[in-house]
Order: sequence, then structure tokens, then C-alpha cells
Amino acid sequence: MNTRKAGSQTVLVIGGGVGGIRAALDLAESRHSVVLIDKSYAIGGLMTRLDRTFPTNNCDLCTVSPHLSESGRQLRIDLKPMTVVEQVEGVAGDFNVTVKTMPRYIDLDKCTACGECAEKFPDWVRFTPGLDPRAPTCMRYPQATPHAFSVDANKVTDFDALEGVCKVGAIVPDDREKTETLHVAAIVLATGAELFDPAVLDNFGAGKYPNVVTGLEYERIMSASGPTLGQLVRPSDGKRPARVGWIQCVGSRGINRADVPYCSSVCCMYALKEAVVTKERFAEEIETCIFYMDMRTFGKDYERYLTRAVDEYGVRIVRCRPHSVVEEPETGNLSITFATDDDARHKTEVFDMVVLSTGFRIPESSVALANRLGIDLNEHGFAQTSGFAPVATSRPGIFVCGVSESPKDIPETMIQASAAAAMAGAQIYLDENEIEEEEFFPPEQDVSGMPPRVGVFVCDCGSNIGGVITVSRLVEKVRSFPCVAYTEAVGYGCSKESMNRMEALILEHGLNRVVIGGCSPRTHETKFQDMLRRCGLNKYLVEIVNIRDQDTWVHMDRPEDATHKAMKMLEMGVYGVCRAHPLVEHSLPMNKNVLVVGGGVAGMNAALLLAGQGLRVYLVERESRLGGIARNVRATLEGDDVGRYMSDLTAKVQAHQKIQVLLQSIIVDHKGMPGRFTTGIQTGPRMHYMQIEHGVTILATGALAHRPGQYLLGEDDRVLTQLDMDAKIEDDPESVRGMDQVIMIQCVGSREPRNPNCSRICCQSAIKNALRMKALNPEMQIYILNRDIRTYGFQEDYYREARKQGVQFIRYEPDRRPDVRATENGLVVDAYDDILGCRLEISADAVVLSTGLIADDETTEELSVLFHLPRSDDGYFLEDHVKLRPTDMSVRGFFLAGTAHAPKTIRESITQGQSAAGRALTMLAKQWINLGAAVAKVDGAKCSACLICVRACPYNVPFINAEGYSEIDPAKCHGCGICAADCPARAIQLMQYEDDQILAKLDGLFERMN
Amino acid sequence: MTDIFEPEIVAFCCHYCAYTAADMAGSKRISYPPNVKIIRVPCTGKVDAIHIMKALEKGADGVYVAGCLEGDCHFKTGNLRAAQRVRRVKALLEEIGFDSRRVEMILMSAGMGERFAQTAREFTEKIRELGPNPIRSAIQEQARRAAG
Repeated sequence: MNTRKAGSQTVLVIGGGVGGIRAALDLAESRHSVVLIDKSYAIGGLMTRLDRTFPTNNCDLCTVSPHLSESGRQLRIDLKPMTVVEQVEGVAGDFNVTVKTMPRYIDLDKCTACGECAEKFPDWVRFTPGLDPRAPTCMRYPQATPHAFSVDANKVTDFDALEGVCKVGAIVPDDREKTETLHVAAIVLATGAELFDPAVLDNFGAGKYPNVVTGLEYERIMSASGPTLGQLVRPSDGKRPARVGWIQCVGSRGINRADVPYCSSVCCMYALKEAVVTKERFAEEIETCIFYMDMRTFGKDYERYLTRAVDEYGVRIVRCRPHSVVEEPETGNLSITFATDDDARHKTEVFDMVVLSTGFRIPESSVALANRLGIDLNEHGFAQTSGFAPVATSRPGIFVCGVSESPKDIPETMIQASAAAAMAGAQIYLDENEIEEEEFFPPEQDVSGMPPRVGVFVCDCGSNIGGVITVSRLVEKVRSFPCVAYTEAVGYGCSKESMNRMEALILEHGLNRVVIGGCSPRTHETKFQDMLRRCGLNKYLVEIVNIRDQDTWVHMDRPEDATHKAMKMLEMGVYGVCRAHPLVEHSLPMNKNVLVVGGGVAGMNAALLLAGQGLRVYLVERESRLGGIARNVRATLEGDDVGRYMSDLTAKVQAHQKIQVLLQSIIVDHKGMPGRFTTGIQTGPRMHYMQIEHGVTILATGALAHRPGQYLLGEDDRVLTQLDMDAKIEDDPESVRGMDQVIMIQCVGSREPRNPNCSRICCQSAIKNALRMKALNPEMQIYILNRDIRTYGFQEDYYREARKQGVQFIRYEPDRRPDVRATENGLVVDAYDDILGCRLEISADAVVLSTGLIADDETTEELSVLFHLPRSDDGYFLEDHVKLRPTDMSVRGFFLAGTAHAPKTIRESITQGQSAAGRALTMLAKQWINLGAAVAKVDGAKCSACLICVRACPYNVPFINAEGYSEIDPAKCHGCGICAADCPARAIQLMQYEDDQILAKLDGLFERMN
Repeated sequence: MTDIFEPEIVAFCCHYCAYTAADMAGSKRISYPPNVKIIRVPCTGKVDAIHIMKALEKGADGVYVAGCLEGDCHFKTGNLRAAQRVRRVKALLEEIGFDSRRVEMILMSAGMGERFAQTAREFTEKIRELGPNPIRSAIQEQARRAAG
């Protein structure tokens, strides 16, 4: 491609929410340089404000926060907070972007986030609310990135005083706004959106009645670190509510003033989650009721979540759109008046609290940004993309992900982020011969056999530690511990000055073990490990003793006890580190070939992107031609020509020199480790056996078009599926034009006990076909019998259009399903109409069943056995983390794309195909596979092959080898240590946490006690 | 000795939840008794019965294992295995006539700083009521005799 000229190697990512962070991390891991800018002073975005996330109801911050600190640490990521784009010039591959950085008045390199400034001048400095117990919306988010304060200069009245309290001299009073020009090859837009402020509506009382809150505010109230410390209480009187009601679609799916017409896609799930968590965490007897229009639980396994919420937790759901909320002034209670489909009379119910489910809005600032970027927005203000290029904006070289593109939840944002990163990375030419950048550490000295010489360095962290205990006294005591060769108080140990001093001392005194008495290893271990490496010591020879977070911060009021405890903790650290030994991080050369299983739209997109990066791709397809299920689709809801797209895509794949297409091929065996797999394939009509060596595997085996034997399908040829109708409209328009009355039935074979999940695609395909049929014959009567219409995002526009054109939507309940009969005069459908309250008998020229997709159970089962991969109950492959790693699988080196993951549209499959390629590139960019060091090791001599470890391992790693003892592949070991703890012969040790290290710590603790 | 008894308590905390919760308690400055000393493990599934027994043998007055909430384990089921193991240790202790209340399994999420502190308070109080670990008293007695 001509864009791949030597030039900028950098990608600019705008927006540091989860999407932007994911994109930046993917790019950095793929050896690209990244500039990540965010207008805020810390990255994290919206997700860090959530309490728990569906569908697991976990607090996922512990999962996302490593991502956040990771992005601060990544060498290739230049993080620029408080920075905005001014102007973009140039073309893809060669952009000049002018960015402006606001003054922070704090030197990021010097600030240690000690908090002295906030302590003295709480109003002048800002920190991510997480650590700030005063902030009304504080969150449990202990790892703000960058880990530094910022100064609100408007509020500072005395900069000298502020400088006076900062012990490390990080205050920069004359900091100025800076403008610079970045030379970048591509741009990823990930600015997200805001949530609608319902105070502009006058009917729900938001901002007027204290007990009316938004979903996000409710989330804060429930949060353990929220303003009420996890007590669920209502704002007006601090009492626990007994009845909480949710109103859905507030400001969304409307045509009134202040409404937006689209669906925000996430609110149904978050309302359900909030209701379930209310029941789960607080009190079963709190009544929860959700007022909704359509329950849109269309994501992977979301329908089950709905079923559980209703059946197990007793969350009540009422289909209606309440008109207003009225407060009873004396009690603060709120009454909601509503009417339901089955009962025309108005009812009024009283709630203690009402939660308004508000959706996404594109802020004005994003529209202005789009103008500066020169990209088109759609009518709703989201970045315009085309049907088959889901992350490409209208300007080549600028890509988009997350809510900037359309409303979506976290997993879909993650998928898109990796796709956008992959597409942006493809703009850059990377020289394959480029030598992997080495981090310049001196060679490691061999300390085995040397007696331990421990250096103990104790931080005072300003007053954080030093204000509670006398560090110099502590240091004196530590000197008497065994093996301690040197001790010193080091002030702020993590500051550059102190690090330099410690490095000099380590060399001067020939120290071979180090204990740092400071803050949490969770945040600072890597920093001190790197310090050791700079001194030629193995990074596993340092122990961080957390005397700040776990001692001085919590025992401020009893300095004597705190000092004693710090001493004990340090003693434990010293004893432990004496038993530490150098660990080798295993590594092996990476095989750069890729195996893609499945030649549908997802597999082909992944293959093309990877082959475009110069990698060899084997594309294995079991059928005799490429295309998969998308080959049977003619048009998308948006009117794009799928047939032409598919033939172009297939031609490109087949012509690509780097892609070897293996048709009529099946996988028969598999072995190896991530980065070095060998897979056996039988290929061609004669089932010729061949072996492929590859580093990663992408699974894109698709799903099956469902054809359940219901409603005369397969018995009467006037009963069709949506897929049949899609083809008929294209291939035989005359026969369709001749139809006067057509009935569609939704959720056939989905959302029922045998296939409990929603097929996601059927509502939009029904509306797509209805609109196309209406175009052929505007007089045609079309009835769509449905349980909910789940036209999420901008699909809602087409739902509205269908209603406008007279398509009739009739609701049915699963216990009163419609019935289809064949008569001499045609088909007759009996359906019960809730609104009319009677049975209808409608004759039809055709009945179209929305049968959706069903997992290809046989294929996924076979492959899951061969590859040792997990599946969900309904036969789809199970991703590693449903929220944050939707494209990665639990076995490293395996990635997942398309409908093998869950039902999705063609566009969504393309996105995940690109996403899988992007995730694969993060691995393939490496020359070596680093297998880490914290792995379990078996002593073969002690092992009696009792199989306990084989059964205990959550990842099925241990096996009994040919020599008859258990073997644990370091490449597959996750390092939990469960096997080590369970082994009755004590034959297994978990490196870094060996038994003698743990016991030594106990010795240190009880040394002087007995 | 007129001082109130200050028990020595060992808490095995998993890196992903309980240890993080302890840090949270720190960053929110929620105080708890200094009697609790934390040993960090990657997962509570790593905590061996032998670690708990050795801690008691060496003189700990109480030991607890603090892991993730059910379903939150970073390593799928390590916390449940740990709970199972703690149950086994307790049964064993009962068998040898040792008060099994000195050993507990506790679950919490990474964000539950308050719960971490509260657990530490409650457990310390409980052990204070139970009095010193009889093994430790015996060791001290022995040491005294050897010295005298």
C-alpha cells in the first residue's frame, strides 16, 4: 500500500477511557509508538465510575486497573493528560497534529502522589476521586494514572505555600499551556460520550426531587467507596429505601424535546444489574421494579441474566413508559402513574426512590473535535463509518472505537478498540528486520551460592510514613537483623534522586538482596525491580514491604504500635528475601505464522489484516468454498450490498500471496505452546494430512442458521426464515411484490428453554426485510409478532421508519404463542393481542420466521477438546473475560472472532475479525515468548504421580509425562499455586512464593517473640 | 503481666482481592488493630495447610486466609479450594483439641477496604478473648525453664 512509506511510526489515540487504553496498549504491544491524550488529568473514563458491571456483577476495577497502570508504564506509550487536539493536517501515514496541553502545575516525574499538598490545601489540588474520601463521587480506584496530583490554579491563592509543603519540589508555579505538533501515521478516536442529564426534562423530577437519581448516581450510592460508604440510602433522609423503581429510555428512543431517537444499548442491562445488586447485596426484601418499553438484553448471555433477575431475584419488570414522577412533599416518596398494555386503566405506585436510566449523548466538544479532525458525523453526532469498514471514519487514517462510534457496552468497546488499533497499526510499515529494542540492563551477576547481603531502604514518603513513625529509629533497629548489610532512610524512595542513591549504595556495598520499606508492591514493585536490574541483580531479589498503606496509614493514632509493626513487617521482608533466588523468565522464539480456523466473514477479515502485515496465514475452511453464513445474506439493514462485498473479500483473500486457503479441511490434532503450536489438518477431497506450525490461532468457525421445526417450517413452503426471505426479495422480487399480507414471528427457537439466549440479529433482519418488502409493494400489510423489539443503537431509526410505513408490531407472550395453520386459502395465524385483549386471526401469503442463529455445537465441541478451550453452556466458545477480554481466549495464543463467540451482525463480525487480528499482532510482534517466572515447578524425584495436581489445576496444565511424574508446562502455567498447596508429597513449588520463603517470613515475624 | 493480651495474627491475603482491599483500607485511612500481619500470596489457593499449621506452631495466636468473593477469583476457583482447605485444617485442629476458631477463611473484594478493616478488628477481638495460643505459652514456658 502506498501509505506504508517510511515516515511516522506513531499512532495518536484520543481519549483515555477503557477503549482508548485498550487501543493504546494493543498498539504499544505490537511495537508501535503511541501518544495517548486525554482532556482530563487522569485516564480511566466512565468505567472507573461504575460500581459493579454486568453480567458477572463483579467489581471489575481490579481487572481494569492493572490495564490503567500498564498504560502508564508501557515504554511506547507517551501519556499526555490534560491535552486536546487543535488541528490535523496531512494524510494517512503522514499526519501533523497540533495538540495543546493545559498547565498542570505539577511535575509528573517528581510527584509521588504522597498527598501532602492535598492534606494542607485540599481545595487547591485535584486527584482522581478514588483516593479522595471527600469527593462526593469518589470511587474505588486506587491506581490513578498518572499517579500524580494536579493543581487547580484558579483556586490557589499562595503558590509559595503550596511549594513549601511539597517535599519533592514537584510544584511548577509558572507552568504554561504548551502547544506542540505530533507527526503521526494514524489516529484512533476514542472520546466516548456523556450521559444524558435528565434535569432538562420537567416530568421526572430529576434535579428537583432528591430521591430521583440517575443510573450512575445510584451506582455511586451502592458503591462500597461511594459517598455513603456502600450504604444503600436515599438522598432525602438517609433511610434505606424499601421500594426502588427504574424508568428506562429516559431521553432515549423519543421524539420529544430533549430526546434522542436512538437506543443507548446499555441501559436495560445496567438497570437489571442495579436491581439485582440491590437485592443481592442489600436486602432481598427491597422491592425493585423496572418500567421499560422493550427489554433489550441482546448481548452474549444477557437474556439469561434477565431470566435470573426476574425468576431468581424477583425483580419486577413492567412494560410501559411512565408519563411522570410526582413527589409527596411530606415523605419524599415518589409516585409513578402508568398504564400497561393489558390494562388501559391508569395505575399509580409509590416508590421510595426512582432511578432514571439515562443513555449516551455526544457532547458539543466531540462535535467540535470531529470538525477539527475533518471526519463526518452521522445525524446523531456519532462518527460516521461505513457498513463493511466498521472502525474507519470518513477520513483515511482516522479510526474510531467505543461510544464515539455508536452506543455500546464495555465488551463491544474492547472489541472495537482492538480492531481500531489493528487498522491504525496497518498504516505503519514496520521493518521485520528491525532489531527488537532491548531495554538496556547490564548483564545479571550470579548471586547463587553467595551469602545474602541485604540492603534495607525505608521511605518516609513525606509525612505518610515519616509523620507517624521515626524512620531513622526504625532503620537503626533493622540494622541488627540477620544478613542485613546496609540500611538507610531514603525519603521518597520512588523519586529519581533516591533511586540513583540506592543504586550507588547497592554497588558500593555489594548488596545482593534488597528490601524496600515503602508503599504497595501492587503499584511500585516493577519500579524497584527495574532498579535492581539496573544494578545487575535479578529482579526477583527485591521485596517490597508495604509499611505505608498497611501500617502508617491505618495506625496513625498509635505511632508506637505502628513502629513495632513496621519493624516486624521489615523483619518478615528480610527473612523472606534471604530465601529468594534469581528466577529466569523463560523464553522461546516466536513462530510468526497464523492459523485461522473458519473462512467466513470474520476469519477472512482477520486473515487479510494479518497477511497485510507480512505474516503467513493458513486459512482453514471445512466447506468447499469461502464465505460462511454471510454468503446467504443479500443486504444489510442499512442497505449495503452483502453479495458484492463477499465476492470482493473472497477474491482478495484468494489472491493474497501470504494466505494459503485450505478448503474442505478439518483440524485433527494439535500440540505445542502459545507462540509455537503444531496443528495437524486433513485437507481436500482426499483428506490429505499436513501439519502447520504457527504462533497463534484465530477461531472463527461461525454459528449455524437455526431451522427449528416449528410453525410448519419445512412442511409448507409459504413458511420461510428471514434468511430465505432475504434471498427471495433479491432473487424473486416479483413473487414478493405479489404478496398482500405477510406475518413475521420473532424469537422462533430463541429465548426459550432449549435455546435460552437472544439471537441478537433477528429483530433487525425482520425490520430490514419488512422495509424491503414495503419498497417492493407499499400496500403490503406486514405484521411482526414479537416479544420485544431489540433494535439497539441506530437500528432504532429503522424500527421507527417501519412503524411509520405502517408495519404492525404485535406483542405476544411466551405462554400465548401464535399458531400457524395451513388452509386451502392460504396460511392463517392466530395471535393474541395484549392491547386489544383478544385473539386475532390473520391470513397471510407468507409467514416469515425469525429463527436467528444457533451455536455450531458439534464443531465447537470438537475444537474445544482438541485445543483445550472452554465453551459456554449453549455451545459458543467462551472468551477469557466477558467484559475486558472478549476476543482473547483463556489459552494464550487463541483468539476468537465472529459468531463462534456469540450471534452478531456481519458488521460486528468484521469488527471482531479485525480485533482478533489486532490481539494476535500483540503476540506476533514479539520475537520471543516470555513465559514469566512465577510458575509451578515439579521435583520429579518427589512426585508419586498421584494425579492430585492434575485434578486441582484450574487450567488443566499438569500431566504425567513419559518418565512417570507430573510435568507442568511453564508456558501454560498461570502461577496460582493451587497445585503446590495441594501436592501431598510437597513435590511442587511455586517460584517466587516457595514454601521456605513463606515459612521464613513467619520465622521473621515470630523471631523475637518466643 | 497486667497488660492486655495483644495477639499476633497472620493474614494470608491474595494479591488480587484481600491484599488490594488492605491497601484500600490504607488509602481511605480506615484504622484496624496492628496485630494483623499480612503475607501476600498470588491466590489463596496457594495457602497450604502446612502454612497455617506452621504459623500456629511458631506462635501465631490466630490465622486467617482472606481471598476473593465467590466467583471473583482471578484463578477461577482458588478461593473455594482455600476455603475447603481451611475447613480441613479446622477439623484437624478440633481433633487434636486445639480451638479451631483461631483459624478462619474470609472473602472480600478488592474494593472492600472497610470490610478488610472490620474483619481485622473482629478477628483480633475474637482471638483476644480466646487468649494466647497454648503452643506459644508452652514454648515460652520451655524457654524460661531452659534459661532458668
